[in-house]
Amino acid sequence: MRGLRFFGSHLTRTQRRVYGAVLVFYLFAFAAMVWPLMTLFNRVRPLVLGMPFSLFFIACVVVASFLVQLSLFRWEQRQQGPEPPEDES
Amino acid sequence: MPAWVVVLLVTLGYLALSLAVGLFSGRRASSGTEGYVAGDRNLGFLVMYFVMGASIFSAFAFLGGPGWAYSRGAAAFYILAYGTIGLVPWYFFGPRVARLGRKYGYVTQAELFAHRFESKALSAVLALIALVAFIPYLVLQIKGAGYVFNIVTEGRMPVWAGAALAYAVVLVYVFKSGVMGVAWTNTFQGIFMMVLAWGLGLYLPWKLFGGVGKMFQALAEEVPEMLTAPGLGSSGEPWSWGAYSSAIAISALGFSLWPHYFMKIYTARDIRTLKKTVVFYPTFQIFLIPILFIGFSGILRFPDVVPADAILPTILMGLDLPAVVIGLFCAGALAASMSTGDAILHAAGSVVIRDFYRVLFRPEMSDAAQTFWIRAMVLVIGAVSYYLAVATDVSLVLLLLLSYGFLAQIFPVIVTTFFWPRATPQGVLAGLGAGCAVTILFNLMPSLQWQGIHPGIWGLLVNVPVQVVVSLLTPAMDENHVNKFVVQ
Repeated sequence: MRGLRFFGSHLTRTQRRVYGAVLVFYLFAFAAMVWPLMTLFNRVRPLVLGMPFSLFFIACVVVASFLVQLSLFRWEQRQQGPEPPEDES
Repeated sequence: MPAWVVVLLVTLGYLALSLAVGLFSGRRASSGTEGYVAGDRNLGFLVMYFVMGASIFSAFAFLGGPGWAYSRGAAAFYILAYGTIGLVPWYFFGPRVARLGRKYGYVTQAELFAHRFESKALSAVLALIALVAFIPYLVLQIKGAGYVFNIVTEGRMPVWAGAALAYAVVLVYVFKSGVMGVAWTNTFQGIFMMVLAWGLGLYLPWKLFGGVGKMFQALAEEVPEMLTAPGLGSSGEPWSWGAYSSAIAISALGFSLWPHYFMKIYTARDIRTLKKTVVFYPTFQIFLIPILFIGFSGILRFPDVVPADAILPTILMGLDLPAVVIGLFCAGALAASMSTGDAILHAAGSVVIRDFYRVLFRPEMSDAAQTFWIRAMVLVIGAVSYYLAVATDVSLVLLLLLSYGFLAQIFPVIVTTFFWPRATPQGVLAGLGAGCAVTILFNLMPSLQWQGIHPGIWGLLVNVPVQVVVSLLTPAMDENHVNKFVVQ
């Protein structure tokens, strides 16, 4: 009754891995936009799509996080049919 | 007809349309608190998407976003960054919140936590935190609406009259239609703002420089320091990485806990709708990019505009555009102000009555009486905020800074609510209290903020250990009760 419980006991191992991976992705997405990782992408040139590289990079993170979430959503739909599972991580 | 009359007519037409949308929508919900506050838990995806998007697309995004890009350059990227990840936690705790809300009849954020920790004090504390976060934001939105009218009439209409006009409309539809009025006007206003953001964001760089690429090319030659994070601070000095990074962290943590967003979890028709709203939220975030272009387009051509938030109206007035276009812009700025203001006003009324007054003084209050008093409270809070916005010069800067710092202190509570069975009411209250106290202290004494790190982060560094230690020192809660909430 003491420890942290992140995963419902009914989740399969694959499901836990997927949720774990998504969580790690979002930690990375955050880390990539702040110090120190952001310093790697923090350049004015080359201009991409007319934007400075720094802004283009953040736009890429926005798009990537949208795609990851969309894939997770669709994966859940395939797993459980039209109604998502009763309990998530 | 003089140009300003055309501009005013377009703006007034927009206001009338908002009122019509807001009033018409109220017929679709029942008359009790479930209908007035949570829309009978029956909102579909499209409406949910715009409610979330437009509430966030506030006067801050529409006027403040370009203002930041204009005066602080890449510092404005932080707005883009935190919004991207800010709603992600919803995907994981939102479905649980929605299901428990349906089961136990919650319509506000504090009701969930107060039930989980069986604590009236927690309900009252969370209601106070919500008010501290709400009032300065609401006052800013009302001021923003007043300035819009002041600008379109070239100073003929004073700020107080413009603010009164716009917020009279908001009050009418929030009073009558509750959350349904907020939801449908936000859908209308959201579509309008999207079109305008892309239109202006691409048009202005083209008009001033011949294209977005050419604009950044010119900026890269002249002011490269404004194009890389962390950009500039509020007085033009380089901003620190610590301040930039911690601003993103604290805003991302506090974002999903804004009580007026959180309440919208209960309004979703089903879990699928809720999850889809979270999934598509970053598409709204993309619309901030053209908004930032607007600010960047002013740096070289319109130097030294004060205050920086006036950069967008200044550019528009300086370009000799047709009056109808300027009118549409003003309507957009009004939409941004009203779509945030209405949600906050509605939530503030609900929180004060449901979480504070009812819990502490009138537990037997009937549902009809609650709806009545929430409506009355909407009027009171509207009047107080209007007074603060136009009649006084009270500085709200400290409160604004506190908002996100305070909201982030709630984040550990949601984690322990669902994931840590051993957490106790004493622990949660002590953690929240200590976290908020430290946040206030660091706000009052900026010299304590090592590396410019946000006061809310220091608050969390105290909040979490206090919550854990006090919880472990106090008796555990009843297992059967806790198991209704915690992941099994």
